[in-house]
Amino acid sequence: MSSAESSFLASIKPSTPAGAAEPALLSEIDASTRAPVFFFLCCGLFWLLLGTAFALVASIKLHNPGFLGQAEWLTFGNIRTAHLTSVIYGWATNAAFAVAFWIMARLCRTKLRHVGVLGIAAFFWNLGVAIGIGGILRGDSTSIEWLEIPAYASPLLFCAYALVGVWAVVAFRFRAPGHVYVSQWYILAALFWFPWLYSIAQIMLIFAPARGAVQPLVNWWFAHNVLGLWFTPIGVASIYYFMPKVLGKPIHSYYLSALGFWSLALFYNWAGVHHLIGGPEPAWVISAGVVASLLMVIPVVTTGINHHLTMIGSFSRLKDSPTLRFMVFGGMSYTLVSLIGSAMAVRSFNEITHFTHFTVAHAHHGLYAFFTMVMFGAIYYMMPRLTGREWPSATLISVHFWACAVGITIYVVGLSLGGLIQGWEMIATTTDPQTHEVALRFPLFIDIVRDMIPYMVSRSVAGILITIGHLAFAAHFAWMLLQPRVAAGAQPARLSPDSAAPRTPAYE
Amino acid sequence: MSAPNPPANPTPAHSRENPEPHEEQNFPSLLLLFLCSVLIFGSALYFQRYSGTFSPLVYNEEVQGSGVAAGTATAVVDPVVMGKRLFVQNCVTCHEVTGLGKPGIYPPLAGSEWVNGNEEAIVRILIHGLGGPVVVNGATFNGAMPSFGPLGSNWKDEKIAYVLTYVRQEWGNKAPPVTAETVARIRASIVARGKAWTAEELAEYHSATK
Repeated sequence: MSSAESSFLASIKPSTPAGAAEPALLSEIDASTRAPVFFFLCCGLFWLLLGTAFALVASIKLHNPGFLGQAEWLTFGNIRTAHLTSVIYGWATNAAFAVAFWIMARLCRTKLRHVGVLGIAAFFWNLGVAIGIGGILRGDSTSIEWLEIPAYASPLLFCAYALVGVWAVVAFRFRAPGHVYVSQWYILAALFWFPWLYSIAQIMLIFAPARGAVQPLVNWWFAHNVLGLWFTPIGVASIYYFMPKVLGKPIHSYYLSALGFWSLALFYNWAGVHHLIGGPEPAWVISAGVVASLLMVIPVVTTGINHHLTMIGSFSRLKDSPTLRFMVFGGMSYTLVSLIGSAMAVRSFNEITHFTHFTVAHAHHGLYAFFTMVMFGAIYYMMPRLTGREWPSATLISVHFWACAVGITIYVVGLSLGGLIQGWEMIATTTDPQTHEVALRFPLFIDIVRDMIPYMVSRSVAGILITIGHLAFAAHFAWMLLQPRVAAGAQPARLSPDSAAPRTPAYE
Repeated sequence: MSAPNPPANPTPAHSRENPEPHEEQNFPSLLLLFLCSVLIFGSALYFQRYSGTFSPLVYNEEVQGSGVAAGTATAVVDPVVMGKRLFVQNCVTCHEVTGLGKPGIYPPLAGSEWVNGNEEAIVRILIHGLGGPVVVNGATFNGAMPSFGPLGSNWKDEKIAYVLTYVRQEWGNKAPPVTAETVARIRASIVARGKAWTAEELAEYHSATK
């Protein structure tokens, strides 16, 4: 490309000033977001621990049905739902709020104003989640997947969310002039998408329910889009921010960022329909869902390549940077889980995996191996800047990472394998050589249930590992707050003390 | 829960961190863009092919063209099966499941020379009904067989053909089936009639078989 061309391109494009923000400015901005972000993080951590406990109980019940069988409010239907609500609306959304605000304010180079309002919103959001989970354990679940929070709590959540969303938009409106970075696109879009999804789904499923074939359509449009248009953009925005931040390198390509963002915005909205393959929906609606899910390969591969080309040559940094380690694990999981998701939307493969543990493995692959791990990475970077303290123990970070990484890997591999076997057993047939009569190979459903027990046990083992990781993280978090504030020039906790010599200014 | 005190100056973490991120302007690989285009093109082909003509009423994605599923012609009806269903629903109260009727009240169909004889007679009876005395299997009956045609239930030609085909091959009866075309032809020839038949009127068809 000639220099004339490149200068022309540069003239029509939003410029990308590489000018370093002074530490003082960032420090001031972080101070303005500190209170709400810290509150969101603490609440998120609380719901994470509670949700983990719910998950363990639910998991054990699937291979030891008598476990806690006397407690009526702990039946599987209640506790599984309480787990989902706790981790989705409690942990993941609180963490997403914290990370989104922190990144947004920094990239907008503007201090957050009137954070008290945000604090009120944060309080009511978590109050709504608490009432919702209490209601579910009482047996008030709406039994609509992903919207189980009883109708008396959900308006509270919506209002709190609206307030949170408006505050981020206000921050964006008062941004300093300059290039709008890719993380900002994702966060801003997600803050519009989620209230749209949540309000439409509430109205069409709870308050004025749509009838017949439209109802499941709205349900899966909502449930899948919560992942794709709320958690995914926040997760991807975090990787786009923290990866180059830690590496001190620019993102590989503006064009790939743009292609990834707009193709996600274009295709994701239809993808949830593939949950209804085989259901009583018009063929074209299902086919639209299948096609949209397949086309999701474009944003996923584009984003994956962009991250990989940024990361390449710096993989040795995974040894000592906790943030990077969690981010790269999350980013790679994002690529993998999304490609599996696209495959699951293909009709012939869906025939096997639908209504099996494979779907459960997939959901955790996305929400845990991708999103939760990315949030952990972000928190490792944010906390020293929020509190002025360093993480006290490299060992605890290692325990956290490896327990969670190994745990979720066992979880996903075990349940995916179990799900494939389960799916095959449910549709496998035999043909009598004499009469040519076709019969089910496993006519008794209970046989298939029994065959799944080892995989259910593997999930509980994975759950115990993940619990260990979470406890290590929570203990470390508390320990950090008890530490004295560090003096200037102190070095952060490193995962690998042997590679001691700092090569770059940042070691997070 | 309250946050710790704000730092007066940049924390050590702030002092050591890298500049805010930005993007390079590397143009993406043309191969990637080509593959994306291929994927979009292929998806469009799939969507066009497997969308059941975009009809809200088509559930089967294999359906193409005018809305008729490939390989699924109009369902083939077994006249005997359909006839039995019609018989059980409409005729058994008088003629009984056994086809023997009630002695002295309702005439039998099993072995009946009317049922097994010329179809011209029984098609007329089904269409307009039968009144007055009639001799069946040597016994005389004097009742009223209702119309299943325009004076009564208004059955289509097919239904009359089905039920007659059924009674002509059940209980040891061995007469050939009655087709809907035959019913239609006979119906057209008696379209002006407005009352039930008598046995004498039908005697010409009946005696013709003897």
